[in-house]
Amino acid sequence: MSKLLIVDDEVEICEFLKSFFEDRDFEVAVANGGSQALEKVAAFHPEVVLLDIQMPGMDGLQVLKKIKETYPKVKVIMVTAVETQEKIEEAMRFGADNYITKPLSLEYLEKDVQDKIDILAKGF
Amino acid sequence: MPTKADSQDIPKFDYQEVLRDVARSMVRLKRPERLLKLITRFIDRQFGLTHTSLLVLDPKKGRYVFVNSKGAKRLPVGLVKFDIDHPLMQWFSGSKKKLPVQKDFLFLSDVKKMLSRAEFRMAANSRGDLLAGIQKTMQNLNIELLVPGYFKDTLVGLLMLGRRVNGRSFTTQEVTFFQTLAHDCSMAVKTTEYNQNLIEQNQELANRLEEIERMRAKEQRTYYEIMRSLAEEVHAKEPYIFSHVSEVERLGIMTAREMGIGLSGKTKDLLSAALVLHDVGKIGIPDSILCKPGQLTPEEWQIMKTHVEKGARILEPLTDFKKVREIIMAHHERFDGNGYPRGLKGDEILIEARIICVVDSFHAIVSSRCYREGHSIDYAIHEIQKCAGAQFDPVVVDAFLRALKIELQKKGEVPSSLAEYISK
Repeated sequence: MSKLLIVDDEVEICEFLKSFFEDRDFEVAVANGGSQALEKVAAFHPEVVLLDIQMPGMDGLQVLKKIKETYPKVKVIMVTAVETQEKIEEAMRFGADNYITKPLSLEYLEKDVQDKIDILAKGF
Repeated sequence: MPTKADSQDIPKFDYQEVLRDVARSMVRLKRPERLLKLITRFIDRQFGLTHTSLLVLDPKKGRYVFVNSKGAKRLPVGLVKFDIDHPLMQWFSGSKKKLPVQKDFLFLSDVKKMLSRAEFRMAANSRGDLLAGIQKTMQNLNIELLVPGYFKDTLVGLLMLGRRVNGRSFTTQEVTFFQTLAHDCSMAVKTTEYNQNLIEQNQELANRLEEIERMRAKEQRTYYEIMRSLAEEVHAKEPYIFSHVSEVERLGIMTAREMGIGLSGKTKDLLSAALVLHDVGKIGIPDSILCKPGQLTPEEWQIMKTHVEKGARILEPLTDFKKVREIIMAHHERFDGNGYPRGLKGDEILIEARIICVVDSFHAIVSSRCYREGHSIDYAIHEIQKCAGAQFDPVVVDAFLRALKIELQKKGEVPSSLAEYISK
């Protein structure tokens, strides 16, 4: 089973996406903040992380940087409500594997997560 | 007589009453968000569903987004969007004729039934793909029933309803009720959108008008500057130390002030423009007449007199200064009625024109012209006084001489002829 970590400060979003991906046979963990996300990455070993950029405290960009420093193989998809070019460029510089803006298309989200899993399966 | 079981099936509220409430709210509410929230909450409470969610079209972005969601399995508002080409939207936006069921609503169970039919399984046709996409979405979002809301032919939104917590299915009456509410929501959304567009369009129009007004004012200013240069040009060949135009302007303003004419903003601009431009029509008079050293022949006088109308005509594009044209038309009228072109008399002549008449004559007498030397101030004062009541308005003459006295006093050069004048 593929492992997915969902990071968002909004509990409802986490719950919704968790059940969405669980229905698709993913093993899902959630984190509601930056430091919790880093703990989960260390303990849960996700293959893909869905990471919200805007979070109180440690924001998504800082979390991304730390994940990529320690676990460069983990695929990280940034999720952002406001599409600001600077944030996206910064995320890409820190090694984000893609970004998706909210509101998002569920079909696209599913496909993108699956793509990352497929890439990992091929050993990249 | 209804059985006890039947009466339990009748909901504990009056549909008509609810719909009337909604209609009343629609009229009252300027923003539809509150009404949509009200409807969502109402359905959630009355029917006990896993969730009640409202998806609404964002026409500017061409996509559908959730605006409300209630219930235990509610959907996070703002997370999910549906583009207009999503199977759900295609299904409800498509023509009714193509659809095997009434497109007014869609049960998950009906979608499943349609998919299981051989025709859809055998042929991988587009309707089969569409239904597969719809089924997937309904399952993802735990939707049992979809009710569309239209405005004219536009799919404005979808009412998405989860399962009943008690497991009962929806009655026909209930579905009809949902359809009415979905329709009301669409009306509210669309009406507000129209209002909003109207407000935005009005604002844009106001901005454009402002821009046009700015450009027009600038154009008028430019035209005025050109006219001023033209007016200066009329006297260019004359050896004035100061520009005749500027001097006449200064003396005229001075006189108007002395007369107690309120000179602020537009009034002053008008008087200034008239003083500056009064002889601009002379640009159309041949130099042979304009600078003739001797007396003009009667024919030459006729031509000379046309400078009044010529000036007024040249200034026609200066629409901001319509009155200036009237003043210029009247600046050769005489107080006694013997002037030209119309022979106006006394108060019939605009006060600005009466002022121009005096100050222009005074400055012409003291200045050197191409055909003669200038006269002394004393001589000019005497001439002006002599003509008060005939060529000139005596009140204006009085005010002018008082103002002139004050000016000369400052220089310490008061001529004896002005001794009697005491400024008010």
